[in-house]
Amino acid sequence: MPELTLLQAISQALWEEMERDERVIILGEDVGRAGGVFVLTKGFQERFGEDRVFDTPLSEGGIIGASIGLALNGLLPVAEIQFVDFIYPGFDLIVNEMAKMRYRTGGQYSVPLVIRTPYGGGIRGGHYHSQSPEAYFAHTAGLKVVIPSNPYDAKGLLLSAIRDPDPVIFMEPKKIYRAVKGDVPEDDYAIPLGKAHVVREGKDVTLIGYGAMLHTCVESAETVAREGVSCDVIDLRTILPYDLNAILTSVEKTGRLIIVHEAPRTGGFGAEIAAEVAERAFLSLESPIIRVTGYDTPFPYALEDVYLPDARAVVKAIHQSMSF
Amino acid sequence: MREMFYSHAIREAIAEEMERDPNVFLLGEDVAEYGGAFKVTQGLVGQFGKGRIRNTPICENSFVGVAVGAAMLGMRPVVDIMFQDFITLAMDQIVNHASKIHYMYGGQLSVPIVIRTPAGGGRCYGPTHSQSLEAWFMHVPGLKVAAPATAHDAKGMLKAAIRDNNPVVFVESKLLYGQKGLVPEEDYVVPLGQARVVREGEHLTLIAYSRMVGEAERAATALDREGISCEVIDLRTLAPLDLQSIADSVVKTGRAVVVEEGCLTGGVGAEVSAQIVENCFDYLNAPVQRVAALDVAVPCADALERAALPDAGKVMATVRQLMQKYG
Repeated sequence: MPELTLLQAISQALWEEMERDERVIILGEDVGRAGGVFVLTKGFQERFGEDRVFDTPLSEGGIIGASIGLALNGLLPVAEIQFVDFIYPGFDLIVNEMAKMRYRTGGQYSVPLVIRTPYGGGIRGGHYHSQSPEAYFAHTAGLKVVIPSNPYDAKGLLLSAIRDPDPVIFMEPKKIYRAVKGDVPEDDYAIPLGKAHVVREGKDVTLIGYGAMLHTCVESAETVAREGVSCDVIDLRTILPYDLNAILTSVEKTGRLIIVHEAPRTGGFGAEIAAEVAERAFLSLESPIIRVTGYDTPFPYALEDVYLPDARAVVKAIHQSMSF
Repeated sequence: MREMFYSHAIREAIAEEMERDPNVFLLGEDVAEYGGAFKVTQGLVGQFGKGRIRNTPICENSFVGVAVGAAMLGMRPVVDIMFQDFITLAMDQIVNHASKIHYMYGGQLSVPIVIRTPAGGGRCYGPTHSQSLEAWFMHVPGLKVAAPATAHDAKGMLKAAIRDNNPVVFVESKLLYGQKGLVPEEDYVVPLGQARVVREGEHLTLIAYSRMVGEAERAATALDREGISCEVIDLRTLAPLDLQSIADSVVKTGRAVVVEEGCLTGGVGAEVSAQIVENCFDYLNAPVQRVAALDVAVPCADALERAALPDAGKVMATVRQLMQKYG
């Protein structure tokens, strides 16, 4: 199996699915001639033509609105929002049209649209190129939200997302676009949405992460393993619908839970997991659920390293949980 | 004290603040001659003129943007978003501009803007005129979120919001507009960030805000007759949350149920519940429960809307179940 970066795996999934299914199209800012700001769709326009891979104006509402219409009429658009920080001008289309179309048409129409969008910090992008807004979408009924952490999952999850009959927001951790490599089969495979992945088994503490933070969780688990503390590490992979069963199975075993995400703490997705676990695994919990997250501030430019959760912060939380 | 509609209390707050401070002005769709979709601003244009009560085109992102610019230059705009569902169109101005400018300019500028917006269902308005989206704004650092439940608080909190030097999303309730409450004659302010104990109790804490406070109170009254004594807390402000008041109550009762009108997943109750579990772990005698709307678009049909949205009956059912299992 060839070793690919996360970015190459996403690119390969798109390429293969476009070869297989002529309904798949790509649109977004600079995705065509320039091949995308991260060069993810380089060569696509030459191969698939300007009808299937095309540049749009700088109008996220326009990109998403046009994609909804194309999806309603039989195509399978994969729209790119260049940075997720720019997705807000398309919010109305996402929340009031895309997410609600199936319901509002009594099931007569669905919107098989994937919005791909790089998210997260770690590239010195400042407050307009580093945000993690998954919690807004997780609070929007009718959406699916996917965040891969490695090349193998990225390909399999993206193929599932494109084949899903309903809208999917596919958020890509740009910090690890090129930093994380892994074996990716050349053949067609799909990873079902809504299934978490236990990447490391342990008995003392459950760590939940996704995207770039999954790697922070693994690093933290390796660190405390040397002290004799063993962690279950769960890669959530899909934020909505999230795999509550996998989480509960783990927490019922360990009794301790730490959730890690880059987004600000208050109202973040960690709150949802914590609330649901505390409700359903109340008698299993041996210590309070801890959230290790970004601060409740805009994403800082200079203080990025302070802002982002790192293994030191997670290890500290593990110690805190174990000593409760 | 006078008895006054919730909507009139809001109008009086705007009028008094406009009298007090010439920098305060109002803008939004149909807010002038028409008096706003819910007649909240009726008559203000006669009193203050079209220069200070400004109708805008149907373009939320642009008029919130105008207000942000005006606020940066010293004005105190009060923006009317006709239905909270339409605030989705102004998300970029709210999330990337209003909330971040104070931070981006190192504190040299601030954005004293109030975004008034009626939320909630109960009138069969369907999926795009009934939503309760306030949980999003709790997750935006730099914003305050107010959601009053009574005429008294609507007036006092709106005055606090207008006088605040930073952006406030002010969540009103369409169904509360026609509710009456006692409002003092004299000038008063209800500070943001302070919850209110509506009713004292010993077995369980019901935590709610906006219209759900009334539902929680009704549930508490009925449950009292069954021997279950509920404390009811009105959060009043969602950001910043008054964690002290929540914790004081939960430490006493050992049980909590959070009630909100928005969708369950990722809602306000998630944050409140997570905070309780973090801060009151040793005092909890039962799991914190959430009563919220189903994770669906708000339906048009009356029966379906009632099935989707929380009410006193659903709060009572949850409390009874909790007390039975963990009483």
